[in-house]
Amino acid sequence: MFDMLDRALERAAAFDDAEVEVYGERSASRRVKVFGGEVEQLTAARRAGLGVRVVRAGAAGYAYTSELSPDGIDAVVRRAYDHAAVSDPDQFVALPDPGGGPADVDPYDSRVETVSDTARVDLALAVEAAARGADRRVKTVEDTIYADGEGEVFLASTTGVRGSYRASQCYAFAYVLAEEEGQVETGISYTVGRALPDLEPAACGAEAAARACRLLGARKCPSMKATVVLDPFVAAGVIGVLSSALTADAVQKGRSLFAGREGEQVAAPGLSLTDDGRHPDGLDSAPFDGEGTPSQRTPLIADGALQGFLYDTYTARKAGRSSTGNGLRGSYQGLPGVHPTNLLIEGDVAPVDDLVAAVERGVLVTDAVGVHSGANPVSGEFSVGISGILIENGRLTTPVREVTLAGDLLAMLRGIVAVGDDARWVPGGSILTPSLVIEGMAIGGT
Amino acid sequence: MGVNDFDPGLAAAAIGRALAHGGEFAEVYVEERDGLTLRLEDRRLEQTSGGRDFGAAVRLLDGERTFYAYSDEVDEAGLTAAADAVAAALRGAGGATAPVVELGAVQSRPGAHPVLVPPETVDVRRKADLLRAADEEARAASGEIAQVIAAYADARQRVLVVNSLGEVVRDDRTRTRVSVQCVARRGEVIQTGHETLGGSCGFELLGQAAVLGVAREAAGKALTMLDAKPAPVGLMPVVLANGFGGTLFHEACGHGLEADAVAKDASIYAGRMGEVVAAPIVDAFDDGAVRNGWGSAAFDDEGVPTRRTQVIEGGRLTGYLYDRLRARQADVPPTGNGRRQSFRHVPIPRMTTTYIAPGDATPGEIIAATPHGFYAKSLAGGQVEPASGNFVFGVAEGYLIEGGRVTTPLRGATLVGNGIDILVKIDLIASDYEVKSGICGKDGQGVPVGTGQATLRIAEMTVGGTG
Repeated sequence: MFDMLDRALERAAAFDDAEVEVYGERSASRRVKVFGGEVEQLTAARRAGLGVRVVRAGAAGYAYTSELSPDGIDAVVRRAYDHAAVSDPDQFVALPDPGGGPADVDPYDSRVETVSDTARVDLALAVEAAARGADRRVKTVEDTIYADGEGEVFLASTTGVRGSYRASQCYAFAYVLAEEEGQVETGISYTVGRALPDLEPAACGAEAAARACRLLGARKCPSMKATVVLDPFVAAGVIGVLSSALTADAVQKGRSLFAGREGEQVAAPGLSLTDDGRHPDGLDSAPFDGEGTPSQRTPLIADGALQGFLYDTYTARKAGRSSTGNGLRGSYQGLPGVHPTNLLIEGDVAPVDDLVAAVERGVLVTDAVGVHSGANPVSGEFSVGISGILIENGRLTTPVREVTLAGDLLAMLRGIVAVGDDARWVPGGSILTPSLVIEGMAIGGT
Repeated sequence: MGVNDFDPGLAAAAIGRALAHGGEFAEVYVEERDGLTLRLEDRRLEQTSGGRDFGAAVRLLDGERTFYAYSDEVDEAGLTAAADAVAAALRGAGGATAPVVELGAVQSRPGAHPVLVPPETVDVRRKADLLRAADEEARAASGEIAQVIAAYADARQRVLVVNSLGEVVRDDRTRTRVSVQCVARRGEVIQTGHETLGGSCGFELLGQAAVLGVAREAAGKALTMLDAKPAPVGLMPVVLANGFGGTLFHEACGHGLEADAVAKDASIYAGRMGEVVAAPIVDAFDDGAVRNGWGSAAFDDEGVPTRRTQVIEGGRLTGYLYDRLRARQADVPPTGNGRRQSFRHVPIPRMTTTYIAPGDATPGEIIAATPHGFYAKSLAGGQVEPASGNFVFGVAEGYLIEGGRVTTPLRGATLVGNGIDILVKIDLIASDYEVKSGICGKDGQGVPVGTGQATLRIAEMTVGGTG
């Protein structure tokens, strides 16, 4: 594909003096959905495209295309130039220089090439069967999905960046409905890896069923100030919201509650949060980011103190420092933006059972809805709907639902008094997190 | 090369190949999309981005199974490969004879959603200036406006749907939208406000006055919330304002009416046709044909003409929203709700513009009839589990109602409840009907939707706050 990138760079050279970067992507993916022991849906996809970023007199323009003919490439270059002419200039806008060699991480597992459609279907069926067989109260396994994909990314620029890498990913997912006495509750689980043999279908199905069944009989609980234990799925949602406030982009634009607090104690002592773009097990690991900057490990919070933020080339230049390799792209259709890679939350761990036993009155939260609409990373306000299990005198008692959990994100971070020994990867952001115990949260019920 | 140059005969051949090993229905979907987005933040037009996607998908239905393949290669080779990929999934199930598909006349409905000023004919600089004007207007509202993010997007999407029934449908869609988000700051207190305007129409939608109005609304919301006190916790009457309040119906009820959830018995509305699911004063509709509506199109993404479907009449359930697959399974006609984000996505039942019909009261009467309660002027968004009907919404702009008057602004509120429970508790509906535009996400696909509603009251609902 480098030949197409080179054609784009040559076309660009014919225009005038500007910095130009071309990003190319080529991938294939499959997705299997099963229902009731049968294949419900099988999808096979191929995609390829180019994105061109032009920086001209400090103004950036972007254009993309899926038409990779010479005419298509010429047109996309011209369009990127036209767009650069409209954007406002900014002295900090520039393409990065090649910054050292790529990070030593290989996000590709060649076993992905040997997987057959039959194996994909069988894996999804195994997840569904495990979910159905886990508990007689399982009403239906509404969604069971297996998906995998592999692709190659290419990057070349007039500032000397040139590189490519391959990556592969796969996951299985189950969404289970359990029913008892007319009440329906839901539960999910995932299993993720770089190729199908990494996955644990039986555990995934069984866990989704267990998560649904344990909520049966749930009702509202009284409103109270209490301690909550967020399980890793729920904790990952909260960390995801917090992380958007830890990007230099949010800080520089006055949209972060962490702005100006570097060095301050923003979380409980012992707690740390790290972005690690080269973690060997991280699904979002890559040798370099969407601008060609090598991936690295960036401490965000260490022992409760705010260490710093995530940067791409633009925000780094503005702050007078170097990029942390967090200029990520979703696809060739988009510009790089500052985003976390893999996030790791760590602290002094204790067995989850011991943590629950230490709670006099509270809720073990196993599901939260509205995390993205109900948590505001600008103001820090946080209010979501939750389901879970009531904790009374150190014991898990009645399931609860239709209650709210509200507070302030910073107070919440400072209120994390303990973390569990159950750290796991949660997809949808690639977050490695244990259960979190948080004091002083407002539960809204009856 | 674009959809207009594409020979439907190639699609017919691919449909034949797709059906070579069996299957009951096959379809080719060809899509060409040209889009432009502009984004202004920090007083700077920082991103001007746009591009073009051209691709095709082949779909094969066999019983309840769907096989789907897509590619960016919209030529004979690409379509043949995609058709063979879906056919291979059925190999062994029958003989290898590709049926010949006879195509009927091309259907299209030009002018169903008139575009007066095609966005591609407008200089990008004018679109940029519109955002700069919105930024100025929002900042002029108060020195406490600390940040303004204004975004503009337009897209022209041309689609061609050809299927084994011999139907050939062309649709040419233009959508235009502007959105403004304001951040207001007073000392340590930060609040945000958001407003948007969009439609299935051209640049004519975005006159200077209309865009400045959007900017003022967004700024006003953020500024109002600076004075907000923490929302209370507990059960109380909730008055939902017109416009954005419609997202409650969309989330709490609409998703449960989509036929995929119904077919899997994963909806609280499954098997309840004709039963009482709302208060007697509630009539509700989904209408994909609203002229120039943000959620509208002449045809859905399966080539079925869009239309209006009554889903609740006098509080009783009267309709579900179907795509072709679920309509075939249920042996009913499709309702024009088979939608997909792009050729890269399998069509599924989706809402278009969904709304509760207006009533006779005035908003003032409803507030005056409420001695104590919560007034949700603008919702931030929400989520629902169709299986249980449980939903949650963030409130972007909320107020206390005391003694029949709207008083203190409240922040950090969430509304929590259950779909049927809440619709049954609607006891007053006003006449101030309004539609808002948004993007609805489901199964990883985002599609434009409208949510409509007049001001209405829910007799009792859980409000979750920190106060």
